[in-house]
Amino acid sequence: MNKLFGILLIGILCFAGCSVFASEIIQDELVKEFLLDKQIEKPEPFLNYNYENTDVVEIKLAIVDAIKSENDIYENQPVKFRVLSDVHYKGRVIIKRNTIVPAKVDVIIRSGMNGIPASIIFGNFEFEGINKHLISDRYEVRGQDRSLLVFPLKWALTFLPPTGSLTNFIKGGHARINPKKVVKIYYHPKWIMNNEQEEI
Amino acid sequence: MIKKWILLLAVVFLAIPAFGADNNEIVQEQTVQNKIDDIGTKLLNANKIQKRIMFVYDKADKKSLLKLDTKHTSRRVFLYDGAYKFTENDDEIAAFLAREIVIAAKSFDEAFKGGLNSLEIAASPKKYEVIADKLAVDLMVNAGYNPLGLITYINKTVPQRRYDFISNKNLASKRLAFIYEYIYNKYPYFLVNNEYIENEHYQNFLLNSQSNRRLLMQKIKSGSTEKVKYE
Repeated sequence: MNKLFGILLIGILCFAGCSVFASEIIQDELVKEFLLDKQIEKPEPFLNYNYENTDVVEIKLAIVDAIKSENDIYENQPVKFRVLSDVHYKGRVIIKRNTIVPAKVDVIIRSGMNGIPASIIFGNFEFEGINKHLISDRYEVRGQDRSLLVFPLKWALTFLPPTGSLTNFIKGGHARINPKKVVKIYYHPKWIMNNEQEEI
Repeated sequence: MIKKWILLLAVVFLAIPAFGADNNEIVQEQTVQNKIDDIGTKLLNANKIQKRIMFVYDKADKKSLLKLDTKHTSRRVFLYDGAYKFTENDDEIAAFLAREIVIAAKSFDEAFKGGLNSLEIAASPKKYEVIADKLAVDLMVNAGYNPLGLITYINKTVPQRRYDFISNKNLASKRLAFIYEYIYNKYPYFLVNNEYIENEHYQNFLLNSQSNRRLLMQKIKSGSTEKVKYE
């Protein structure tokens, strides 16, 4: 009886100890409040690659709505592109002209001093029926690069301090893209292990 | 004669441990080099980066102040012992390498075969620091690493400055907040299924980022798309 009582006592003490430890862990309120009730997919890494094959298919796209400046958009904003012409692979049309391709604004780089231009990096292009890992899916649009002017000017003015430093305040151009700009994305249909070959 | 033999034996016995120590050090360096080669190359392959970048482990604790930093131009990623000693797992090594890969890969694009890009990164390190952090998260996820490793690594290794408006570096707390927001928006899976929640360094990040996470909460609640002014 005493033994049973002893085991019970040890058990209670252990559980109490565990709960004290658990209460010390800071929980992420943000996750609790906004994410726990959402259906979230696990991002699949791309580890079954096989780069033996050199086949590459060019996909020409154009943005649907023009972006006039990097200041008009935000990161993770959905954007739409349109396929400009039928895309063929081995004599078959794999993507039809005018197909709408959803994508996202991945990263925005604001224009900076020394003429450094702004940049918009688009990513997450989603083509129906095509494995996203087989697409070189980043496209960067850059503004006017004025650093080509700034750096030589800065060096030329080095002998007249502080005039060279004033060139720091020349800012780079804004990043913009309109529907006339052709965006090229590349599809590599065979860049995956044979047992997971794409059906096209 | 006996004295000479004793002297010879003594010299031989004293020399053996010294060679042994050297050998151990070389083996240790080779092990680290192989590890960073494997992780670095996995990051390159899994992200389809068609640029030749190599990885170098250097025992030197600190770069010489007089030596020109060539990481933007030489397309090599240097992992110094001073940085390596902070890493606890492969996620954190991948975090360090992924950031450097982003910068090295940029030195291949645009004018003068990437020369101009390298110059711009060197002229504006503050801006590219945050870009490298964000893109490193993508590289890590594509290669199967947990991006929260980047948070713990920066939390351990980057000191908190007083101000950043006249500095060429961002406040570490700001960088961590931007990374957290990027992971929240793009890879929330890692926050919901958080393998780092009991990690002391991640807990320390949660403790120190309370005010910044509150700002992010306000942004999410209001549905705003404005850039948050993190502290």
